[in-house]
Amino acid sequence: MQSLNVIVTGVGGQGILTLARIIGEAAAASGLGALVAETHGLSQRGGSVVVHVRLGEAEAPLVPEGEGDLMISMELLEALRYSSYMRRGGEVVTDKLIIKPYGSRPPSAEEIVAELRSMGLNVYAVEAASIAEALGDVRAANVVLLGYAIARTQLGKLLKAESVEALLRRGKGAETNVKAFKLGMSAGKER
Amino acid sequence: MSYPEVLAAPGSRVFTLGNVAIARACIEYGVGVAAGYPGTPSSEIIEAIAFAAKKLGYPYVEWSVNEKVAFEVAYGAAIAGVPSVVAMKHVGLNVAADPLFSSAYTGVEAAFLVVSADDPAMWSSQNEQDNRIYGLHAYVPVFEPAGAQEAREAALEALKFSEEQKHPVILRTVTRVSHTRALHVFGELRKPRLVGSFKRDPSRWALVPANARKRREELIAKWQRFSQLLSSSPLNSAEGPETSKLVVVGAGTGYRYAREALRRLGLLGEVRLIKISTSVPLPREFLAKELVGKEKAVVIEEGEPVVEDQLKLLSFDLGLQLSVAGKRSGHIPLSGELKVEKVAEGIARALGLSPPAREVMRPSISAPPRPPLLCSGCPYRGVFYSLRKVASKMRLKLIYSGDIGCYSLGINPPLSSQDTLVEMGGSLGLGAGFSHVVKDALVVATIGDSTFYHAGLPGLVNAAYNSAPMLVLVLDNGTTAMTGHQPNPSSGENLRGEAKRVSAEEIAKAAGADGITTVRSFSLEEVDKGVAEALREAASGKLHVLVARGPCVLTAMAEAREKGISRPVYTVLEERCKACTICYNLFACPAIVSTQDGKAKIDPRLCTGCGVCAEVCPFEAIVPESKVEKEWREMLLAKP
Repeated sequence: MQSLNVIVTGVGGQGILTLARIIGEAAAASGLGALVAETHGLSQRGGSVVVHVRLGEAEAPLVPEGEGDLMISMELLEALRYSSYMRRGGEVVTDKLIIKPYGSRPPSAEEIVAELRSMGLNVYAVEAASIAEALGDVRAANVVLLGYAIARTQLGKLLKAESVEALLRRGKGAETNVKAFKLGMSAGKER
Repeated sequence: MSYPEVLAAPGSRVFTLGNVAIARACIEYGVGVAAGYPGTPSSEIIEAIAFAAKKLGYPYVEWSVNEKVAFEVAYGAAIAGVPSVVAMKHVGLNVAADPLFSSAYTGVEAAFLVVSADDPAMWSSQNEQDNRIYGLHAYVPVFEPAGAQEAREAALEALKFSEEQKHPVILRTVTRVSHTRALHVFGELRKPRLVGSFKRDPSRWALVPANARKRREELIAKWQRFSQLLSSSPLNSAEGPETSKLVVVGAGTGYRYAREALRRLGLLGEVRLIKISTSVPLPREFLAKELVGKEKAVVIEEGEPVVEDQLKLLSFDLGLQLSVAGKRSGHIPLSGELKVEKVAEGIARALGLSPPAREVMRPSISAPPRPPLLCSGCPYRGVFYSLRKVASKMRLKLIYSGDIGCYSLGINPPLSSQDTLVEMGGSLGLGAGFSHVVKDALVVATIGDSTFYHAGLPGLVNAAYNSAPMLVLVLDNGTTAMTGHQPNPSSGENLRGEAKRVSAEEIAKAAGADGITTVRSFSLEEVDKGVAEALREAASGKLHVLVARGPCVLTAMAEAREKGISRPVYTVLEERCKACTICYNLFACPAIVSTQDGKAKIDPRLCTGCGVCAEVCPFEAIVPESKVEKEWREMLLAKP
């Protein structure tokens, strides 16, 4: 059985838990083993959030450091923060967005992407927030990234776009989410 | 919160949180009473049961004011023969420890499940306590699911055992069980038992010394029987060659880490692997059979070496020559949560093998820390900002005696308004201690509404009774916000509908506070005046209570959405902005950022429309971009 370690990250409030849950539910619905380890409470409120998603035969809930196959990140600084979870050759699908923490002077988007690439990661920087905003709801940025990841990365080998779409149709804001997902998919294919 | 999956049809395969699976187990079992106090990572258990109760019409469910009361409510119902559950985070059991110990002496008449959600790695807590030790101390058996995957089964087994033995049982989860989503297959719902009857028997239920002494003897006998009975629990098992001289014992979620680590080391199926989900008391007969002839054991568990230590005792009692590795021997770290890579390394070292090679790449540049913040539009921001500003004007040095809740986030600069923070309600007791001995600073005890009702009342009464000069700041946003907006006595509702609102001012008056001031948090002018008055009174040696009231902006926004009330977005008039930096450097709302030239700019996506920054700005440079609807202002500024 194929297995995949996915790190989902971003800033509290960006829809990270939802994104991770959709991946887990879609995997479980297609008969694949899935564990999604979340953090709640104090870990949110605009703070750094990381969710571990393990698909396939994993038993323990956390992705070991250095063994992440795929990262989906809603924000570049968070992609950088959790990059040590990734294995060499791993894939990173990230929004180009930087949300500056209070009183900090963070590195630039270009610096971060270059650093991630120098670690041997395949980085796909996507304007997900802008795409979602153009659709009228910036909160759909998470689904744009998911569409991109399914079209472009190893995740697409495990999860069928149709099963994700079916889940999105059942949830809140279905119409926008399905559109955002499709836009993400086509962005992923174009590249 | 909505948990439709908790009521999925029997036989459904449901991908959900460990906590929701525990809630389902309670419903399946037919629990008649569920009580708790919110606390991460436990809150979803009661929330999901409450969701089910709305649809089913049962069980009776409540958020109690604290864990002690919640425990007693469920315990009372179980004495009266109604199966019950109480759920709390690990530190909550400290608050409920008094009745916990007594419940073992009296026993119960129906199932009584005490869920303790521990938090290794302290994702949302002040300590890493392992509540399995309470089980040992209080003579209460502890079940712990082998990962989120087993949450439902372990809860059901624990309920069954509790009912059969007429004894309370602790179900101990950890963050990675409670908050991990996994696949569960749901079972049938049994008929709930909602009505009980109390059988009068003071020799059992009234623990005066003469009765308690008899119960103590019975308790000791019970405990030995429990160990035997748990030896045949279906939750405990063993795999791998019996002839192996090596055995790995995985307790609770430790079993999942142990199994994955063994596979990674190529040892799965090569050494004996034992799964223990009933950690206290140790199933000694089951383990005695397993341990005979073994030379080395490695124990993997979350938290303290509870199983490891019991195993060593067993080995000693049996006269075995067994060497036991784990947390005591330093092979597995005592601090933090388990990780597959650390467990694999620990097992390898314990068995004299070389640890598996790993490559971890670390970036050469680092991301600045991003601590959680008070939300943009949080009613507490203006109050903390005002406190600093007014105290500085009055040349008062303050000690901020802090407490547990969203306002704990005031610890971060620039508000820096939580100097101490130890436990629920601690702001008042610690504050009184400071007030009696520190003469060059004034104490401000800050406490939120839910925490005030939880453990603040005794501290307030004591401060009045013993004349502690200080300012007690009650931050009342009408909800238990940090844990996900559960209702509390300030909300005007409970889990079943409308409820009495318990007034903080009336409590303060009855407690004997020297003076009480109420302000509306979203009016900075009012807050400034109230803070100045309250500081003056407290500085003159009085016990003064200042209640700052204003809704959590997240609930206000949700209400506005529901009612179709539009919120304004504020903006900075560039020509008026003097780049004084007050709004983004001192008030520090996350929605306000600085531009290249030091002027302020508001991110419309983050602005909640609370309008406090417009009052903060000395140059009237911040204005609403759109019309401010009267209903929105009324929602924020409703008369206390």
